Amino acid sequence: MDTLTTIDELGFAPALQQEVLEDRTSDHALLEATRTGDQDAFAELVSRYRNQITSYIYRMTNDYDGAVDLAQETFVRVYRAADRYQRSYAFSTYIYRIATNLAISELRKRKRRKLVSLTGFFLPSDGGEPKELNPPDCRPLQDSELVDTERRNAVQRAISTLPEKYRAPLILRDVDGRSYDEIAKILETSEGTVKSRISRARGFLREKMRAYL
Amino acid sequence: MRENNCEVIRRELDELMLDESFSTSAVAHLKECAACREFHERQTKLRRMVGSLGTVAAPADFDFRLRARLTNDSTNGAFHYWPLIQKGFAIAAVVIVFAFGVVVVKNLVDQPKATVVENPPAPQPPVPHESLALPASAEHTAGVPTSSPHKIRNERTAQPAAKIRRPMASTDFSKTGVGVIPASEAVSTDTGPAFTIDTSLEPLRLSLDDGRGNAKTISVPTIRFGSQQMLPNKNQLAQKGIW
Repeated sequence: MDTLTTIDELGFAPALQQEVLEDRTSDHALLEATRTGDQDAFAELVSRYRNQITSYIYRMTNDYDGAVDLAQETFVRVYRAADRYQRSYAFSTYIYRIATNLAISELRKRKRRKLVSLTGFFLPSDGGEPKELNPPDCRPLQDSELVDTERRNAVQRAISTLPEKYRAPLILRDVDGRSYDEIAKILETSEGTVKSRISRARGFLREKMRAYL
Repeated sequence: MRENNCEVIRRELDELMLDESFSTSAVAHLKECAACREFHERQTKLRRMVGSLGTVAAPADFDFRLRARLTNDSTNGAFHYWPLIQKGFAIAAVVIVFAFGVVVVKNLVDQPKATVVENPPAPQPPVPHESLALPASAEHTAGVPTSSPHKIRNERTAQPAAKIRRPMASTDFSKTGVGVIPASEAVSTDTGPAFTIDTSLEPLRLSLDDGRGNAKTISVPTIRFGSQQMLPNKNQLAQKGIW
């Protein structure tokens, strides 16, 4: 029987090393490092989530510049609250929750401001929902890319008319592809509520996008 | 029964991700139910369209701007608390205004106001004429001719109710005394003696005693023009049948 001289001679040594390495690069570990003042760790976290968060807030607010501002505010809050962060949830759930709250409060602010919309002039006489000013374009189509772009714009506009309580779960599910469980945690509600809201949101969208279906 | 089944199948289709496979019952149902098949096709198309929105990239200077923002925040640390400070100021202002209001209201309530005082008649034994001497303090004696049976007393410092036999409505305007009108200041006029009265804002109260225990309290309103003739008509203050 041979005698072991080093621990590397054990078979599981490389696996252990890999696990430690992964742990060091996990979101939790990066935030832990941020807490101790490691700026690079925070930069890594930002690079992981900046596109997701910006995109999510943009889909919620339909305003790119505002979405970038709010995404930055999200990271500022994460940075400031790094000391208070608890590992009970995944970091992605945590940061999406902050982003959702910021986006919803921005939508409420906009409601309070009651911006005068040009489309408001095209309110139907029966008092129904305002219709987007979308004059028919009778010119021949240029190419399929334009059609796709137009369709995406229509979808984005339709999403932005959804009530905020339906908008967030729909985006998280159908755009970001998150699980019901995670969405429920982000929105701090039950899975059943999430499922029912998503179903209703799709129903609304189906009505609005009838011309494209 | 079939409608219920459709509902269950549609819910299942709705909850699955696009790339997930359906249950065998769902597949079987879709084969035979045209309405659910159409629903599924439209729903799938819609979800693909929504999913095609994809991710919007953050701007290239995102990190730079974020770093600048964090640096700015850390240098202006005090301003993190500015909203709280503003709220504190607002609350303090409200408290001050409220306290001021309370003080003003309290002052208004505490102002001397006309109160109707029921003066119960106090039993008073008849006093002999000689004993109707002036009170111990000569200062409280109004200047009345000694030949006159009337004694005019300033009752601001005395108990007004003690010498009134019947309930009378009187007004106590002041708790502080006023100056005594000396007899030498009485000026004889055609209609009776006149007294020069200080033109203070406080009304004067006089008590007349006929020497037999009958008293009459007179409240003279504020005099503004230096003098007022007292007792213009003797009968005015006299109790009928007594004077």
